[in-house]
Amino acid sequence: MDFEPDAEQTEIQQAIDALLERHAGPARAIQLAAHAGYDQPLEDALHEAGFLGLATAGAGPLEAGLLVESAARAGAVASVAAAALVAPGLEWASLPRPIALADASEAGPVRFAAHARTLLLRDGDQALAMRLAEGDAAPVRSEYGYPMGALPTRSLDGEPLAAGSGATLLRWWRVALALEIAGTCDGALAITTAYLKDRRQFGRAIGSFQAVQHRLAECAIAIEGVRWLAREAAYHGAPDEAAAVSAAEAARVAQLVFAETHQLSGAIGYTREHDLHVFSMRLQTLRLELGGVGAHRRAVATSRFGAGAARG
Amino acid sequence: MEFDLHEDDAAFRRDLEAFLHEALPEDWEARSADGPGSEAQAAFSREFCARLAERGWLTPHWPREHGGGDASAWRHALLGELLWSVGEPRGPQYMNVNWIGPAIMQYGSEEQKALHLPRISAGDVLWCQGFSEPEAGSDLVALRTLALRDGDDYVVNGTKIWTSYVNHADYCFLLVRSDPESTRHRGISVLLVPMDTPGIEVREIPSVVGERYFHEVFLRDVRVPVSCRLGPEHEGWGVVSYALQYERVGAARYARAARTLDALAERARSRGQLGDPTVQEKLGEARAQCEAARVLTWRVIDQRAHDLPPSADTNVARVAGTRAEQAVARLALELFGTEALSHGSFADSQFRLAMTAGVAVGATEVQLNLVAQRFLGLPRE
Repeated sequence: MDFEPDAEQTEIQQAIDALLERHAGPARAIQLAAHAGYDQPLEDALHEAGFLGLATAGAGPLEAGLLVESAARAGAVASVAAAALVAPGLEWASLPRPIALADASEAGPVRFAAHARTLLLRDGDQALAMRLAEGDAAPVRSEYGYPMGALPTRSLDGEPLAAGSGATLLRWWRVALALEIAGTCDGALAITTAYLKDRRQFGRAIGSFQAVQHRLAECAIAIEGVRWLAREAAYHGAPDEAAAVSAAEAARVAQLVFAETHQLSGAIGYTREHDLHVFSMRLQTLRLELGGVGAHRRAVATSRFGAGAARG
Repeated sequence: MEFDLHEDDAAFRRDLEAFLHEALPEDWEARSADGPGSEAQAAFSREFCARLAERGWLTPHWPREHGGGDASAWRHALLGELLWSVGEPRGPQYMNVNWIGPAIMQYGSEEQKALHLPRISAGDVLWCQGFSEPEAGSDLVALRTLALRDGDDYVVNGTKIWTSYVNHADYCFLLVRSDPESTRHRGISVLLVPMDTPGIEVREIPSVVGERYFHEVFLRDVRVPVSCRLGPEHEGWGVVSYALQYERVGAARYARAARTLDALAERARSRGQLGDPTVQEKLGEARAQCEAARVLTWRVIDQRAHDLPPSADTNVARVAGTRAEQAVARLALELFGTEALSHGSFADSQFRLAMTAGVAVGATEVQLNLVAQRFLGLPRE
């Protein structure tokens, strides 16, 4: 047991941060969002640097998870979690990118689908990899932080994995969601903390008021819990209970952090000139995927206590 | 960064589980229902801790010269986690090994070490902590119990309150103001006071938490030899700060909450409630909070194992643990409905034991202040 990064992990993290510093960040996200664009150069740079292969080559799912968390923290507009963590979790590492994740039981728009070349579809207990051509998934306008696309209506060529692969996809997707939520919350919290130190009202920094401090402290505590649960779950290969636990806690915390960072940021937080929305609006997307907090919690009860068949 | 339990620690946990299976009496659940400070548990702790000590499991993380086993912080943490999860059969003695012993090791004279450490590591001594006062609760440095020098003695006068375990205790870890001219952090000293010293009167404060849970301790002209002072005169706050770093995550209350939650799920199953999606969601929510508290506590243990200085991660873990305990306690009542209201029912015992979670060992609000200022760097004024 060691919560501190070793030398190799430190080196990987520094290289990831340096790359994201160059290619990503809230300004880049805002620029791309203006035309619902996708950051293909960023994804290509991550691929060329070998980071999308961390889970399989040399490192492992924890290191891939650290990449997912870091990319979310940088507001990256690229489908990093699917390529770096979820597809390798299915031992399906060489799918055409970008990869979008979709759940056949959900009707709404799908993150990254309009730009994806592979749709990794969870259909009950089976996972399928479908090839997407340009125009297969029509763009859907959305304010919730990601370029979105509609699930194609025409039938697609798909490569099914064995029965039971749907559960594997679900486990890794849950861990990926938790890591993305941890990183996205970090982004929202950092912006809000800086604002509260800077913004003065009633003759003092509003971050010095105890009522404000306590709310932000609760957010920080909740985010730390999500981070370490998710990292631990990734390290252990996304076991059922740990995956569901980290997603359940993450979905709860996503709403807490959304509500508190907006409330504490006041009106400036709603504007497109302020960076908060880059992170906060994403939290709504993330907390709704895979049935949201209720489905994750029922899954915890099923795997921990053997509660009756919970719908995943 | 890796999250595998060391093989030796995993083996130790299995051995300890086997030992507990054999060492805890059949009526243990009933006996432990009133918490570590109850008559039943305090009495059992002397027998149980002596048996732990025989195996070297009472103070495994202490240095060998003081009766320990030089084991890692992990060994001690896993021990605490497992023991709390079964209702803390060490009773009040968990405090001895968590922070009173370490504080004596750090600050004690040779005479104090020779007197106290062997007894603590043998498991046959009970301590209480004399911290809070009627006018000094969360603001502990407002304490005003006075200890005035008179030759080789201090003469102590004042009142301590909310004291647990005091009715069984052999010694009190007592905070006093030794410099009457001082205020706040300066001028505080720590005295290690035998509870049979003349002038100490203990009165129970009846409460809804449980019988003999809280007490008031009146100190009237209590003569304590100067040789009983722990650490430098007037600089006791440093001793307390050192001790509190151990105390805040010392009691693995989240582990008890997790075990309680497992028991609640079993009861829900036997009542046919486990198929109810609402019940499932509540169980899942509470389990997730218990797990968050566990992993955040482990983060602090890991920092200790690395000999890193204490950080605000301790306060983070403490609040998460409190939240988990409160979530499970609320759920206990909600699952059982009005049946929970009968005195001594499973849900009733769990709920009332958990009531003090947000207040004991530093109110949650104080922890949140520290997280805001030390973890987030928000300004004080």
